[in-house]
Amino acid sequence: MGAYRTDDIIFALATPWGTGALAVIRLSGDSCIQALSPYFKSKIPLTEVKSGCTVYGNLADLDKCVLTVYKDGHGYTGEEAIEISCHGGLQTVKAILEFLQKIGFRQAGRGEFTLRAFMHGKMDLTRSEAVAELIDSKTQKSRSASLQRLDGNLQRRISEIRKAVLEIMATVEVQLDYAEDETEPDLGYPVEETRKVLEQIDRLRRTYSTGKLYSEGARIVLAGPVNAGKSSLFNYMLNEERAIVSPVEGTTRDFIEGQCSIHGIPVRLYDTAGLRESTDVIEEEGIRRSRSLLDAADLILYLAETEKDLDPEITKRDNCIVVFSKTDLGTVGSVGTTGISIITGHGLEELYNLIEKKLCETAPALEEGDLVIQSSRQKDCLDRAYDALVSALEHNNIGLGLDIVAVDVKEALDSLGEITGEVTTDDILDSIFSRFCVGK
Amino acid sequence: MDYEVIVIGGGHAGIEASLACARTGLKTLLVTQSLDAIGRLSCNPAVGGLAKGNLVREIDALGGQMGLLIDSTMIQFRMLNKSRGPAVQCPRAQADKFSYSRLAKQTLENQKNLNLFMDTVTDLLTEQGRICGVKTMRGHEISAKTVVLTTGTFMNGRIFIGEYDHVAGRLGEEAALGLGDRLREKGFNVGRLKTGTPARIRFSSLHTEEMERQDGDEEIVPFSFMNDSVVKDQIPCWITYTNSKTHQVILDNIGRSPLYGGKITGRGPRYCPSIEDKVMRFRDRERHQVFVEPEGAGSEEMYLNGLSSSLPEDVQADFIHSIAGLEDAVIMRPGYAVEYDYLDPLQLKPSLESKLIENLFVAGQTNGTSGYEEAACQGLMAGINASLKLRNMEALVLDRTEAYIGVLIDDLVTKGTKEPYRMFTSRAEYRLSLRHDNADERLTQKGFDAGLVSKERLEKLREKVKDSELLQDLLKNNSYNCRNALEALKSPEVTLDKMAETIPAIKDYTPSVRLRTELNVKYEGYIRRQDKQVERFKNLEKIVIKPDFDWDAVDGISTESREKFKQVMPQTLGQASRISGVRAADITVLLAYLR
Repeated sequence: MGAYRTDDIIFALATPWGTGALAVIRLSGDSCIQALSPYFKSKIPLTEVKSGCTVYGNLADLDKCVLTVYKDGHGYTGEEAIEISCHGGLQTVKAILEFLQKIGFRQAGRGEFTLRAFMHGKMDLTRSEAVAELIDSKTQKSRSASLQRLDGNLQRRISEIRKAVLEIMATVEVQLDYAEDETEPDLGYPVEETRKVLEQIDRLRRTYSTGKLYSEGARIVLAGPVNAGKSSLFNYMLNEERAIVSPVEGTTRDFIEGQCSIHGIPVRLYDTAGLRESTDVIEEEGIRRSRSLLDAADLILYLAETEKDLDPEITKRDNCIVVFSKTDLGTVGSVGTTGISIITGHGLEELYNLIEKKLCETAPALEEGDLVIQSSRQKDCLDRAYDALVSALEHNNIGLGLDIVAVDVKEALDSLGEITGEVTTDDILDSIFSRFCVGK
Repeated sequence: MDYEVIVIGGGHAGIEASLACARTGLKTLLVTQSLDAIGRLSCNPAVGGLAKGNLVREIDALGGQMGLLIDSTMIQFRMLNKSRGPAVQCPRAQADKFSYSRLAKQTLENQKNLNLFMDTVTDLLTEQGRICGVKTMRGHEISAKTVVLTTGTFMNGRIFIGEYDHVAGRLGEEAALGLGDRLREKGFNVGRLKTGTPARIRFSSLHTEEMERQDGDEEIVPFSFMNDSVVKDQIPCWITYTNSKTHQVILDNIGRSPLYGGKITGRGPRYCPSIEDKVMRFRDRERHQVFVEPEGAGSEEMYLNGLSSSLPEDVQADFIHSIAGLEDAVIMRPGYAVEYDYLDPLQLKPSLESKLIENLFVAGQTNGTSGYEEAACQGLMAGINASLKLRNMEALVLDRTEAYIGVLIDDLVTKGTKEPYRMFTSRAEYRLSLRHDNADERLTQKGFDAGLVSKERLEKLREKVKDSELLQDLLKNNSYNCRNALEALKSPEVTLDKMAETIPAIKDYTPSVRLRTELNVKYEGYIRRQDKQVERFKNLEKIVIKPDFDWDAVDGISTESREKFKQVMPQTLGQASRISGVRAADITVLLAYLR
């Protein structure tokens, strides 16, 4: 954070690199409107365009663009900003970026826009993390998880939990702030409320592994004897001809990898050399690499034509699915296994479902609209809040005073506060006075 | 120069401030509107209570007077919250308010270097931004190097009883007019606060058989560390309850309340609501508790704790008479609300010196607090710091890990206050180590360094700590229930008293030594956990921000935070981080800049 400064004008391409119909370049920083104005020919001078309005014109004879102007305090960063919508050709975009650099603007560092937004109080930590993940998120489903958080849904859910813990705290504190004869005699420690909120925290924190799956993706390795059809499946899943497919055994000598998506889960897919004894030095090295890949895999798809092709050392593993390929040729596996044919398309849908199910076994399945914890910082805070509340229950159970139990509850509250902002003693007093009629 | 220090006001803050200055050898004058009202307990006739009891013991440890005053004049003692954990237990005592006040005045009169004078201060005299004296109503101009301002509720005070209102600081006592306006002109932010008090009724008109009797504890734990024991005849309090009829009377007449009718604009305390507030805010409550407390040993007047009100007197009479035991109560003084000027404490340094006028210190209710103990501890700190400054010594600023006093003053000068500020245990983050029983260990040395604490007191503390270590050794070398006694004491259900049945040598130690040892052993693990937080806290306090720091030079701080920083002028990064509404991101930026 220390290396970033906030007193100059930064720019960055806001849409992905590549050829699209349109591209958006974002500019942010004090007096960026003034600075760009001399290079932009339009009916209304750039400096006179109202905040939040667009203007059409010619940018330095490079392209005809639409500029959206945000005066001080507007825009994503909370600073003066401009968004340039230009034609999406790579050459155009490149030319504009070079031009911006030339007139003294600076290419933004990674996350720098978000940092500025955060610094100007435009978003809290939860939101800025969500933005960072949105930028990184690789497929549609994980993008919807990010977008939802941006709306503040996660914030709302954590605020609810925080409120519940705050009320527990208030119930404890009111008994420490007021004497026995001034408070309800049967208050004690709110055990039921604590159990309830523990459940809520637990549900939310368990979505972390799902979140991780959807944002970081899974590593799937294709394995099996030579010529079992691994490369055909690989090409099918990638939807392109990447691996050379031939009836000759040992065609694939080293592993190759590709990126695809299975029911929204980003997948890094590896096609490996067929496993067999070989005298070919190169092929042998390929096989050795295949084995170490297998150990790092989240999921192994083991392809075979017959039962006797199975290698129990691999197929007995928990994260292995046995797939009998070439069902069009009459392959029949034992009951409970999966059969596919790339040529006829038989069994492929079932296989995809099975992959998703298997990957989600460690993580609860993600319904569209479910809340997802994606950053390990948030997970860590929730874990600590959970443990602190469990310890509050235990301490209360063994008969320790409320003064000790209060330390645990405060710790839980502070941990949640690391996500949503600090909980002050005034918050606690506010909660006490709104819920309890105390004071003489 | 007439005096080195002038203290304005003879309330609980003024008493401590003037004693602290005179005792450290400074020629001191206390100016008060009425020499007959020194140390008056104008509301509740009690000292101490949760968190407040800690303040009293801290005042005592630093060499203040309040603990000694209440030990001598109490008529009932109770240790509160015994069932809720030792760290939050606190002593509270009913005072004989007449002897309390008399003893306070006597103590001031007997103090060397201290003069008392009856007059009303109407203006502060300054020279080049520095205080140089005061001007009084009768035209005196008295010069001094330092002034401590402790005017309480008297600045532009106005009392309200239903439709009646009158310029007064307390019922029957004139307000101090003019000073508030002069301070406004000098650039002080002056706000309005409100507080209230209930009616006093005649004891012989009560039906005590219809009320619950509340006696004091058998064992009295002295407030002052100098007293080993206090023996007193105790007088009981009485408990009764409001009922639906009481609430109906209040609801029917709520329009005649100056508060609900809109006559009072100042903000009242939420923690000490009037009975009309309680009835309006918690409609579904069937009853509210009322404590009937004696005002003194030689008086018939009883204080109706829980029935504070500013409703008209006929309404007060009606609702009081609807309560069991009070059917025939004869009202001697009505309850009333008082609205008064206070000075924004954000304009103070942590030493309680004004940022606007050098050598002017402000303490007590004037700073927006409420309560005798809150006032007294500020008076003491203002007095100590006035004295230290005149002696060219560094100010004594207690931090949040050292004392409730530190919490209170840090809150005031960092966050300000919008309602009368009362101390609560929940305001103190490190309360496991801020217990009433160890206030002496935390503060006696500091009081000694400031010149207030006697050698004798310091010696007494050393004895106590030594004895406690001996007692720990005794436990280490004995067993209890087949376990090492020191280990066994850590279990919640084991107490030293129980152990003393099988290890009689424990009884050789004084109660205060036993208490210290027991709590230290029981809390050790939790205190160690807290120590880590304390360390983090101290690290932020160590990063000092100079008084002439240029806030405009820090890039990347939000405008809102920048304004707040400029207003509060925090002296450390820690203090900056506690300013309400300052964003964590701004603190990070500030940290990066300071490093």
